Amino acid sequence: MALPLPPGLTHAEVAFLAEMEMVTIVPRQRLESMDLLSGQTPPLRPPHRAQLPLWLALLLKKQRRANIVPPPWLHPASLSEIIHRETKENPQTFSPPPPPPAHANPHDPGHARRLADADTILSPPFQPSCTASAPAGYLPYHWLEVAEALLAHAGDDMAAPAGEVRSLLRDLVEVRAAKMRSSTSVLGGAENGLMELTGVGAIELAESRAFVLGVVDGVRKIGAGAEAARREDEEQGGGIHDDDGSDDDMGI
Amino acid sequence: MDIDDILREVDPTFHAIPQEKRDLQDLTRAWVAERCAPELLQWPANDLFERVNENIKRQIEKVEEMTGDMDPKTNFVLIVLQTELERFKYLVRSYLRARIAKIDCHTLHYLSTDDLRSRLSEMELAYATRHQALLHNHYLSSFLSSFPPALQNLNDTAGNVTMIDAPDLDSAVFVRLLRDTAVEARDVDVDSSTGGQENAIYILRWSDAKPLVDAGSAELV
Repeated sequence: MALPLPPGLTHAEVAFLAEMEMVTIVPRQRLESMDLLSGQTPPLRPPHRAQLPLWLALLLKKQRRANIVPPPWLHPASLSEIIHRETKENPQTFSPPPPPPAHANPHDPGHARRLADADTILSPPFQPSCTASAPAGYLPYHWLEVAEALLAHAGDDMAAPAGEVRSLLRDLVEVRAAKMRSSTSVLGGAENGLMELTGVGAIELAESRAFVLGVVDGVRKIGAGAEAARREDEEQGGGIHDDDGSDDDMGI
Repeated sequence: MDIDDILREVDPTFHAIPQEKRDLQDLTRAWVAERCAPELLQWPANDLFERVNENIKRQIEKVEEMTGDMDPKTNFVLIVLQTELERFKYLVRSYLRARIAKIDCHTLHYLSTDDLRSRLSEMELAYATRHQALLHNHYLSSFLSSFPPALQNLNDTAGNVTMIDAPDLDSAVFVRLLRDTAVEARDVDVDSSTGGQENAIYILRWSDAKPLVDAGSAELV
C-alpha cells in the first residue's frame, strides 16, 4: 500500500507532470467545451487556435482531430541559438529559464504585471511555456519531455524536418549533461556553500538527483564533526555581543 | 457566457486563476513536495482534499451516466473524461501512498509530539495509532513479555540515546524559488546568505529550505 519508491520524482513521474504542460493546437473538427476536473476546455472551432494540456492535445492528434503548433523554442533557429549560448557565451551555467509570463498593466504603463494571483503562484507545468506564444530562445522546465513527445507523436507538425530538430536536441542534451557532470566537481567545495542549478530541466534533475544529493549528503556527514565544532566556536564568539546566540548559526 | 465574462476576458488586469486550476496546481505541488521531502509535510489546509475528492466523485457519476448512451459523439468526450479522471486519481493515490510510506517508516516519531501529530490528517492519525498498537501487541506477545519490565519500552530515551527513529532533516533537496527572496544556507565550512531570484534552483538542506517552502516562497522540485 505504501509507495515503495525512494524520495525524488522518477522519470515516469516527470513525464506525467510534463503531460500537463499547455500547448497550442489547431483543431480540424468542431468539439464542444468539456467539463474537466481541471476546468472547462475551450470549445474547438477550426481554424481557431486553442490551448490544451499536452495529454489531451496528443489524444486529439492521434485521432486526427487536431494539429499541434510546436512552441517557438523548438524551432531549429531557436535551438541553435540556445546551443550557441550554452557552448560559447556561458560554458559554465545552464541557459536561463523563460521569464515569468507578464501582462501590460494599463493603469501603470511601462510596468508589466505578473500573471499571478496574490496567493497562488503558478509554476511549471502550469505556466504557458510550451504554447505558441511562449518566448523563443528559452528552454522551459519540461523542455526535453515535451520535445520528445511532440517529435514522437506530432513529427509532421514540426516547423522543420523531425530529423533536424532531433539532432539539435541531441546536441543540447549532451552539452547540458556535460555541465551537470562538471557541476558535481564543485559540489563539495562551493565557496559560498550554496549550489545553484538555475535553468536545469526536470528530466535532467531526475537523471542525476540520486548522485548529486548523495554527494552533498556524504560531504555533510563527513564534515559533521568539523561543522559542529565551528558552530560552537561561533556561538561562543557571538555570545559576547548578543545573548541570543542561537540566531547566529544562520550566518546572517 | 454573459457580458461579465466577456468583459473579464478583455480586461488585462483581471487574472484570477479559476478555482479548478488552482486546486490542480496545489495538488501537484503538494504531491511533488511529498515525494521529494525527507519528512512528512503538513496535511494541506483549506479543504483541498475534500474538494478534490468531491469533484472526483461527481465526475465518476457523470461518466457512469454518459456510458448509457452509445452516441459516437459523446463516446470521444467519454474517453477524454475518463483519461483525465485516471490522471487525477493517480495524483491523489500517489500522494497518499507517499505519506503512508513515511508514516510507516517513522510511526513513533510522528506520534511523539502534538506538533508532529497535527501534520497528519484524521484518517492518517487513526491509521498510525492503530498500526502502532497492533505492532506493539504483537511484539509483546512474541518476545517483549519475556524481557525485564525496564527493557520493554519501545520509546526509551534514557542515556541521551533515543529509540525513536527520526528522518534526517538535514538531507539535501532541490528547491525552486517562486519569488525573489533571501536564501540562507548552512554548509560544512561556511554559512551563506544570498538574495535569490525568482525561478532560481538551489540545492539546500531541507532544514534550511523548510521555512521558504512553508512561507510559499519556494517549492520542491
